[in-house]
Amino acid sequence: MRSAAFRKEGSFAALLVAPSLVVLVLTTTFPLVYLFWSSFQNINLAMPFLDGFAGLDNYRRMIGDGGFWHSIGLTAIYTLATVVLQVAVGLGLALLVLRIPAGQWMFRIVAILPIVLAPVVVGLFFRTLMFAPNFGILDFVVRWLGLGPVNWLGAPTPALVSVIIIHTWQWTPFAFLVLLASLAALPPDVYEAARIDRANALQRFWHITLPLIRPALVIVVIMRAMIALSAFAAIFAATGGGPGTATEILNLYAYRTSFVTLDFGYGSALAVALLVLTMIVSGALFYMRTARTS
Amino acid sequence: MAAANRHKAARLRRNIVLYAAAGLLFFVWAFPVFWAVVVSLKSETEVLAYPPRLFFEPTLLNYRDALVGGFSILPSFTTSFIVSGLTTVLTVVLAVPCAYAFARLRLRGKKWLGFYTLVTQMVPPVGLVIPYFLILNRVGWLDTYQGMVIVYLTFSLPFAIWLMVSYMEDIPREMEEAAFLDKASRFQALWHVILPQVRGGIAVTVIFVFLNAWNEFLFAVQLGGNTVRPVTVAMYNFVSVEQTLWAKLSAAALIAMLPMIIIGFAAQRQIVKGLTVGAVKGGGRR
Amino acid sequence: MSDGKGRVTLRGIRKDYGSFQALKGIDLDIEAQEFFALLGPSGSGKSTTLRVIAGLETPDAGTMTVDGQDVTHAEPGERNVAMVFQNYALYPHMTVEQNIGFPLRMDGVPRSQIPPLVLEAARRVRIDHLLHRRPGQLSGGQQQRCALARAIVRRPRLFLLDEPLSNLDAQLRLETRVELKRLHRSLDVTTVYVTHDQEEAMTIADRMAVFLDGEIVQVGTPDDVFNRPDNLAVAAFIGSPPMNLLPGRFEDGAVILAGERIALTHRSERAAGDVVAGIRPSHIRVAETGVPARVVLSENLGETMLVNAEIEGRPVKVRLPEVRRIGDGETVRLVFEPNHIHLFDPQSKRRID
Repeated sequence: MRSAAFRKEGSFAALLVAPSLVVLVLTTTFPLVYLFWSSFQNINLAMPFLDGFAGLDNYRRMIGDGGFWHSIGLTAIYTLATVVLQVAVGLGLALLVLRIPAGQWMFRIVAILPIVLAPVVVGLFFRTLMFAPNFGILDFVVRWLGLGPVNWLGAPTPALVSVIIIHTWQWTPFAFLVLLASLAALPPDVYEAARIDRANALQRFWHITLPLIRPALVIVVIMRAMIALSAFAAIFAATGGGPGTATEILNLYAYRTSFVTLDFGYGSALAVALLVLTMIVSGALFYMRTARTS
Repeated sequence: MAAANRHKAARLRRNIVLYAAAGLLFFVWAFPVFWAVVVSLKSETEVLAYPPRLFFEPTLLNYRDALVGGFSILPSFTTSFIVSGLTTVLTVVLAVPCAYAFARLRLRGKKWLGFYTLVTQMVPPVGLVIPYFLILNRVGWLDTYQGMVIVYLTFSLPFAIWLMVSYMEDIPREMEEAAFLDKASRFQALWHVILPQVRGGIAVTVIFVFLNAWNEFLFAVQLGGNTVRPVTVAMYNFVSVEQTLWAKLSAAALIAMLPMIIIGFAAQRQIVKGLTVGAVKGGGRR
Repeated sequence: MSDGKGRVTLRGIRKDYGSFQALKGIDLDIEAQEFFALLGPSGSGKSTTLRVIAGLETPDAGTMTVDGQDVTHAEPGERNVAMVFQNYALYPHMTVEQNIGFPLRMDGVPRSQIPPLVLEAARRVRIDHLLHRRPGQLSGGQQQRCALARAIVRRPRLFLLDEPLSNLDAQLRLETRVELKRLHRSLDVTTVYVTHDQEEAMTIADRMAVFLDGEIVQVGTPDDVFNRPDNLAVAAFIGSPPMNLLPGRFEDGAVILAGERIALTHRSERAAGDVVAGIRPSHIRVAETGVPARVVLSENLGETMLVNAEIEGRPVKVRLPEVRRIGDGETVRLVFEPNHIHLFDPQSKRRID
């Protein structure tokens, strides 16, 4: 009996949802299925005569591929380092800015700037204006400090550090703004109560601030981890994955395999690996979030 | 009195330390863009001076070159506008009704559909660019506007749906109930009562979708080309071809990013809101 | 004003939310043009009943008719009802004028005919000078009037009010109460009014239904409900503070409370047995003789005085018409006015007459 109204509402809802859903299925799910399919194929535009079903060959090859494991390691370092730095610096900055009596708006404005810039432009700016040997400002500063010339983007370890710096520079403002908003929304009476209970500043931070902004922190970590795992443009523009493969995270490795080596079959398998990795990481983070909050 | 003075002095010292630290960090984030502006005003010989000079005779030649010179940014600029604009319009038209249904209406399997939408948002772009290259290549849509807009929907649509859902959920249910009692149909309630109240949310969605589409690079560089060459690709090609023309690069890049910088400053409040809403709801992809 | 109808009948209405039974089979008849209150504590089902009448909730079982016509599954818009929500639900993006005119627009009234009708409705609730403001620029009282105007502009068959006064301050609440009553008289529309405030229900309603735990425990005029509570549940709910309920024994036309025999003038022909005696705090006097009670706390209420005492360990409240000194811990003697003693059956919990 009651389902008359329900059906009416349901059909209206279906009408509203259907267009988006059809588009989503066609534009995301269908290509993904295609990706899975091609990961079991030999598709090599350089050697099209070899094309055909490959079974698990691409995945078998992955296990024995030193380049793959190298890129996985780099992905882990890159993701971990950028997320930790963004959250730590962003939180520190938010706590700092919250305490200055006036001029907070200036920080909000300057924080918007990196966020609205295209990552590829940020990568290019750093590659040229900041890091370039002999001309880049950072190079100049380091030499002026007497730390000698550093080949920022030309040597493996400094290059990795550089791309981490670039990512951190661009996205810390995101963590900063989100955490600033959630810090500003904390109820002041809790702090007054804590003061009366004689908690010192560090104790207040540890026992009150951190637990209260935990949900926001966790979300920031999840979102930033997702973005770091699929970072592309800034690294591509700054180092192109180099020197050699020193900054070639899995994302770039899958890209190069497909579009430079033209081995789309293996590239697809690598992309599937990245997809699985992303799902595992996000799943684990989401699980931690719900496990701890409930 | 003395105690009060000591207190005042301590507070002053604390503020000085605070402002010094904050100022330093401010400098770190403001500097690269500031320096790009400085460099864009230099002549090419001035750029190469070492140590870099802060005081020099500024010139607007680079901007002239970037706009009307041999390497003009304007065609790419137009392309970016078309692609981002189309993406934005399509996304909003599709996402807003869908978000309303997700937020408000009873629909069988809604939970799963919502989860599906959320998951599609997590797919790493490289996992899409590979199949899209093969698919679009096959149907001959590489380097076309329609191909590019379709690809951009993959990240803009799920994001927009989730952003709009959180705005829709903020509207009290009584609003629609009142509308129903006032003899409004479901569609009329959505059109006359709900939509006007989520205008702010739609604005935020428009800003974010446009911004993300404008700044996108991976899809653009691989699936675009000559006909469809957005500013991000143009910038990248410029550096590959003209290794050292940094002043010109800076000018062109600043022009390319100018709409985003303007949006950023003008819609600062909305962007922060969008970031935080996204943060609460788990949306937002760049 | 209206077409002179608006008789509502509910039969066996049930509504569950998961395992929670919000309505456990409601039967209710609301007469045409009457001012009917649904009274009960929060969670008792009164608001759900109103929402069922409005069509905002579909009952899991039962039927609802208006003027004999089955509307159980009719959409809200098909029922010709108007409702004032607790938080008014004014459309924030529309002016007062547009808010009031919205139901007319949706009803397909020609645009040219809308403004005079809006003006008339606004005049009735005296907000015709605020037509171009938005809800955000109005005070709480003005918002409430705007919601009223939006509800009456369409001349509905039924007028539903969901705690309409609860967001107003005490002073405004008293004024609006009077005004609502006057509005009802001039409109002559069946009005269903949900409230948790018994004083509100008592003063405003022609008849009322008392809700407890998803059931209607009594239907009647305010006078009935207050002076002849049907059962222990109503007795324990109505009145502020409510009736004192004491276990006793009925014998030979008298009730025995704490060893004291109180002769009842009426109902002498009943068999002897255990009863629960109910008596309102204002029907107990402090005297030289009577049931001994120990004073726990006496509260000075200004004009009157409320004494919290204990008879054999059971709490008893006494309202004295004048303030006097009674020390805590003191023992006083209480006299119950025999013609104001209500008797209830401890098993069936029903009133004994």
